Amino acid sequence: MASPQELSDFLSSVEQRAFKQAVYAVRDDDAALDIVQDAMIKLAEKYGDRPAAELPLVFTRILQNRIHDWFRRQKVRNTWVTLFSNMGKKSDESDDFDPLESLSAPDDSEIHQDGAFKLERSQLLQALESEISKLPARQREAFLMRYWDELSITETALAMSCSEGSVKTHCSRATQALAKALKLKGITL
Amino acid sequence: MNRNEDTLSTREADQFGLTAAALLRQGSQSLPAGVKDRLYAARIKALSVKKPEKVRIAQHVLASSSGSWSSGSRSFWDNVGWVAPLVVLVFGLIGIAQWQQDSRINDIAELDVALLTDDVPPDAYADSGFLGFLKNGPLSESDQDSLSSVKTPS
Repeated sequence: MASPQELSDFLSSVEQRAFKQAVYAVRDDDAALDIVQDAMIKLAEKYGDRPAAELPLVFTRILQNRIHDWFRRQKVRNTWVTLFSNMGKKSDESDDFDPLESLSAPDDSEIHQDGAFKLERSQLLQALESEISKLPARQREAFLMRYWDELSITETALAMSCSEGSVKTHCSRATQALAKALKLKGITL
Repeated sequence: MNRNEDTLSTREADQFGLTAAALLRQGSQSLPAGVKDRLYAARIKALSVKKPEKVRIAQHVLASSSGSWSSGSRSFWDNVGWVAPLVVLVFGLIGIAQWQQDSRINDIAELDVALLTDDVPPDAYADSGFLGFLKNGPLSESDQDSLSSVKTPS
């Protein structure tokens, strides 16, 4: 049974990774933070009495389910928003909107301070994250669970509710797609 | 066999995946302070609703009390609490069985009293003719006449 300290340590170790994984999926920082918070609360509330060794797999599964739920809710919401936005739409509303006001310059001061190496790493990371975001959901999940979460094929299959063969296929396709996309950008890992 | 140059072997794919994961891991360490704060707050909130651990006190109290009634009385009653309904159930069943037996004895006694105090002796009930009489009722006048005419010559 995981003690409060063990649970705290576990959450501390996975929260940033979970946030990034959620961002890759939903591409929205606020939504990703909400998803991670919900997943943490669900884990503590429902599975807080589980042994510490079981927490990584359970948390991964909860996180993926939360991401799927978010997409379902978005789908329903978008349906209603599209429906109502077509009603009473004013043509002059778009004239007041200036896209430049909503854009913010990337905070790259740190990059300039630390030199070319850090710039290169940052650009490499950005390219990699961008390509990961473009992967199909199942491939992205399999890739991140296998290599980032370091789950075994069996554990990944369990978390994704699919066969081990499917996990291997998803991983392989994700890796090939990422390598190919990065190579087109002149990047080789 | 010609292998496409763009296609990675299994070993190369694993190597690529591990390298990419290492890069992603490094990137996740440099999150903005605002995001880190919100993640910290989320963690604290999650810990505040943690499912409580199951506490096993009773056995320790019993072991430490070593038969002392005052210190271990609460745990003693916790342990024997389930026995009380069982005892009540057993005594209840015994009582019901006793009551049924008494009731059966009383019924038999009433029957005996009725038989012994009746005008007809108990042996009559063993006679098939008397049972037929009870079943068919008293004889009609014509039956009595025919019976008397049969009996007269003798």
